[in-house]
Amino acid sequence: MMDFQRRALDQETRKAKNVAVTLRRFAGYFRPYWLNLVGVVVFTLVVVYCNILYPALIGQAADCYLISTPTTQMGGSGVATTSCWYTDIAQLTSNESKISGLLGLALLIAGTFVVSALFTGFSFYTMRLAGQGVLRDMRGHVFNHMHNLSIGYYSRNEAGEIMSRVTNDMDTLQQMFNFALLNVFQGLMIIFWIAVAMLRENLVYGLLSLAIAPVMLFTTRYFSNQARKAFRIARQEIGNVNADLQESIAGAREVQAFNREEESIAQFQKANEANRAANVRAAVFTSALNPVLEALSYVALGTVVVVGGFSALNNQPLLAGTSVISVGTIFAFLAYIQRINQPISQIAVLWTNVQSGIAGGERIFILMDEDIEIHDRDNAKPMPQIIGKVEFKDVEAEYVKGEKVLKGINFGVNTGEMVAIVGPTGAGKTTIINMIPRFYDVTDGQVLIDGLDVRDVTQDSLRKQIGMVLQDTFLFSDSVMENIRYGRLDASDDEVIAAAKMVAAHDFIERLPDGYMTVLGERGSGLSQGQRQLIAIARVALMNPNILILDEATSSVDTRTERVIQAAFEKLLQGRTSFVIAHRLSTIRNANLVLMVADGQIIERGTHQELLAKGGAYYDLYMSQFKAEEDVA
Amino acid sequence: MQAVSSASPKMKGREKRAKGEQGYLRRAIGYLGRYKTMTFIAYGALIIATLSQLIVPQLVQAMIDSITQGAVAQQVLSIPSEQGRMFALTQLNTTQDALQNTYNSAPSWILGAVALILLVAVIRGLFAFIQSYAAEWTAQGIAYSMRNDIFIRIQRLSFSYYDRNQTGQLMIRATDDVERVRLFIAQGLLLTFQAFLLLVVTLTILFLTNWRLTLSILPILPFSIILFGIFGKISQPLFRDVQIRLSKLNTVLQENVAGIRVVKAFVRQNHEQKRFDESNQDLYIHWLKIARAFSFLFPMIFFVGQIGQAVILYFSGTQIIDGSLAIGEYQKFNLYLAYVFFPLGQLGLIVSLMAQASASAERIFEIIDTKSEITDKPNAIDLPSIEGNVEFRDVTFRYFSSTAPVLNKVSFTIKTGQTIALLGATGSGKTTIINLIPRFYDASEGAVLIDGHDVRDVKLDSLRSQIGIVLQETNLFSGTIRDNIVFGRPDATDEEVIAAAKASAAHDFILDFPNGYETSVGERGATLSGGQKQRLAIARALLLNPKLLILDDSTSAVDFTTERKIQAALDNLMQGRTSFVIAQRISTARNADVIIVLDKGAMVAMGTHAELIENSPIYAEIFASQLVDDSQPVAEAQ
Repeated sequence: MMDFQRRALDQETRKAKNVAVTLRRFAGYFRPYWLNLVGVVVFTLVVVYCNILYPALIGQAADCYLISTPTTQMGGSGVATTSCWYTDIAQLTSNESKISGLLGLALLIAGTFVVSALFTGFSFYTMRLAGQGVLRDMRGHVFNHMHNLSIGYYSRNEAGEIMSRVTNDMDTLQQMFNFALLNVFQGLMIIFWIAVAMLRENLVYGLLSLAIAPVMLFTTRYFSNQARKAFRIARQEIGNVNADLQESIAGAREVQAFNREEESIAQFQKANEANRAANVRAAVFTSALNPVLEALSYVALGTVVVVGGFSALNNQPLLAGTSVISVGTIFAFLAYIQRINQPISQIAVLWTNVQSGIAGGERIFILMDEDIEIHDRDNAKPMPQIIGKVEFKDVEAEYVKGEKVLKGINFGVNTGEMVAIVGPTGAGKTTIINMIPRFYDVTDGQVLIDGLDVRDVTQDSLRKQIGMVLQDTFLFSDSVMENIRYGRLDASDDEVIAAAKMVAAHDFIERLPDGYMTVLGERGSGLSQGQRQLIAIARVALMNPNILILDEATSSVDTRTERVIQAAFEKLLQGRTSFVIAHRLSTIRNANLVLMVADGQIIERGTHQELLAKGGAYYDLYMSQFKAEEDVA
Repeated sequence: MQAVSSASPKMKGREKRAKGEQGYLRRAIGYLGRYKTMTFIAYGALIIATLSQLIVPQLVQAMIDSITQGAVAQQVLSIPSEQGRMFALTQLNTTQDALQNTYNSAPSWILGAVALILLVAVIRGLFAFIQSYAAEWTAQGIAYSMRNDIFIRIQRLSFSYYDRNQTGQLMIRATDDVERVRLFIAQGLLLTFQAFLLLVVTLTILFLTNWRLTLSILPILPFSIILFGIFGKISQPLFRDVQIRLSKLNTVLQENVAGIRVVKAFVRQNHEQKRFDESNQDLYIHWLKIARAFSFLFPMIFFVGQIGQAVILYFSGTQIIDGSLAIGEYQKFNLYLAYVFFPLGQLGLIVSLMAQASASAERIFEIIDTKSEITDKPNAIDLPSIEGNVEFRDVTFRYFSSTAPVLNKVSFTIKTGQTIALLGATGSGKTTIINLIPRFYDASEGAVLIDGHDVRDVKLDSLRSQIGIVLQETNLFSGTIRDNIVFGRPDATDEEVIAAAKASAAHDFILDFPNGYETSVGERGATLSGGQKQRLAIARALLLNPKLLILDDSTSAVDFTTERKIQAALDNLMQGRTSFVIAQRISTARNADVIIVLDKGAMVAMGTHAELIENSPIYAEIFASQLVDDSQPVAEAQ
């Protein structure tokens, strides 16, 4: 419990903005599991009933069998003071009859324990059955929606942020559905029922005994809030500790190279110390919470004893017109009051968990509601077999409203031709190639393939016919075989191997520990950059598309591999319409059309020779790249 | 000893391992020695809080007794008929005066009992707070000390350690593993102590109070311990299974977020959705397994504790009815009963906390115990001001695990001021050579000498502070751009910093930032492009004004203009210094005074460009193949 409390308090609590709407949507997810929820309520009521019955039965044991001895035998007024309803006291004439009656009562109590345990199990299981089902469904929906979101969404939002929706926020929901919701519900029922039982038995006595409950609730809230504030600071500090760690592990070579160990350690210790201080401060409140609650519960206990005891001693009701408090009632109240503490503190802590759950749910729903920017049009038809003619007509594009990243792009390519796009970083090269498979939509103008506007055909049919090799090669943690097969799922092993051979990847794959069956680590770790690229190229070769888009990698790969990649590219380009973001002169020289892009516009166009002859921006670019070599030569 | 050594080797291994894990946990607990006072306070407070908790049943009994006696007295005294009253008095074996006395003093008894219980409540609350706070304090202290120890160790480990271990793995040890140990020390250890204390003291009290009743509940103890054992056995693999499924699901998720372009480009949404749905369903099924186990196991454990109460009700009721037990004593017994089952209920938690903490402690001490392979010799001297003569004498290097040498008998001598270009394919040993000079690794055989001093005979600090290094990948540290430039020389003046930045073509882009040199960078600051980082790294090395320079000149993704600027900066940097350069560019090779050609760890040729192009076929081949793309435009321009 202690640990759970701490964890619950350590969680960031964001309040949901629109609780009603979020709850309604939760309700929608729970609809298929409505029968479970009915079960949960019924089972919980049984459990709570058993919980209530127990102190009452213990009270009866005292009233009927244990302390009734002297008075009942007297007859007379003694009977009036007992509140035994479990059995007819007058019948209990011998010790034997009392003992057998007591055995019956003990068995009944044991029976309530059995029923309570079983139904607690049932209620948790049915709740989790529903909760896990809802979580599974929600995860599926989120994942599905993630694919509908445009590339633009992914460039605007950090991957970590998106991941955290599906992991952290789902986790808070998990806790809420698994544990918190049911415990809060059960706790509320117990408190309610106990309160009703106490008030019904004796209104005034009940009210006096319960007077401490609101105080406990407020105390818990106060300490929880204080602890939460302290934890928030601790979380920031541990963030600094982690950042320091991350930096100095990743940069350990530099730290050592520049003899910075001492400074680095001193800096770390400072962050580490700040984290400790914040945590110790939070410990003041977390440590105080339970002792204070416990002390308050003794106050409640004392109230029950003093108030009830005096009433019983004086044989006087607390208020004129109410009944006198019996010793049995006092015992029952003692048991009640001891039972009410736990649910109160539990609710106080878990309530924040429910709040975070709702807020987490809201964030997930926001992601699900994220606008799908690129839809298939209603009358979109499948793209016919692409021949390879591509045309950009006055294409404009913007990521943020009013900020154009492409301005009036116009060019056309014939089947089998190659376009090289050059220009500085941020000029719009990537945006241009992203328009072809419709990763982004134009804000004005048209992108036409074989005369068809890409927006008039279905995205799937379009993209299936366009091959892309992106700069940041992405491989899945699966075998090499499956990574290549990603290009065409129905390809046979032989076809995969043929594709690898075509791009000269076969040799190095064969040399891997398990050949084509070698399972790659996260993002293809274990392979060199160049090898990863070759696999990505093989993937596209397998796909055999008529339009090809290449983003030449600029990062340094072993020059020999580089040549292999270059050769693979050239092979791949043959006979296909291709668009290349070029970083290598050889590529540029082979292109049918070179587009020099700057600031979202095509500033020069032509072949390499033509552009050189022109002596403009391209000429400058060319000269600056190779000037050093010219000086040497 | 004999018996152990005769056991099968497999058995011995397991024993050793189990013992080892225990040992690590014990060592972690040993950190408490650093916080002796607080530890003492925590455990002292725990004893007082626990014992005062055990007084409570006595006080409750006192309250109940005073109420019951008072109430009985009141009832008897109010019996109207004299005869009936006398009969009751004989039944109770008391006199009317005594009863009247009991009745009269009952209110003060009740008040006294309540006052006492409130006093104990305050004391208990106070010490419970002190105990909890002091325990958290020491646990945080231990976490703090462990993290410091890990960090210090990490800072001093040799490069080969980093070659073998991933950043993420190391991070987890300093965060998650430390957290687990902290949790155990803050709670598990205290709970264990408390559970033991409660169990022993309570059982003693129960036996002294009523040994017959105590015997009636004793069978429940072993039963519940067995139940917990089963519970632990069932639950641990279940959680591990869920963890595995969860990380599988997260992998699919991660891949789809990071690789969304690939998924979209190849139109694989349906395929991916199917993969995800499978993992999702798998996770769901495993969660349900946990739900099944936990939904019923927890109530069952609870039930075992409760059933004891029903048993006690019957047995004690019998004793009450035949008059051998006061009802208050039964209540007291019942309250103590709860203290027997409470520690048992904690057992599951303790066991799981301990298991996790043991495994974590082992991982933590694995780092702390790692010997840095590179340390100063006891009689190491300060390296005098470097002139710049470097000699490799039959240097062979192999990573400790592999037998194939990465570098095989490499010998060469370099004179002050020369530029040395290292050429060769990936894995030919270029990086190893440059890492041996500042002694990031130690040679397995042979020696590396600077101005005639073996690098192993001089102090690391004095060696490395005189060598400027530009690594292939530049890491920036949190702080300002200026902080990063003065990384190797914190006492540099602003003029020197700016001069270094200008010489490395970084000054202009630095001024483009809103805060110039004071712009924050690193994990928590602005992001710089690869080219910008590299120029900062050059400025950093330049500021040291070293006689010996080591460069890995492979440029990362930069545009043409930037690349040229970096080239110029590097040329600036190398002037007048002995420079080792891993060459990627033809100009570097051509300009070098000495070119060393490496192939599979062996030095295959050494000389100037002119010499090698004549005599070394390997150089000619590398020149033609590795640097071919660069040389073509030159030929064309000519």
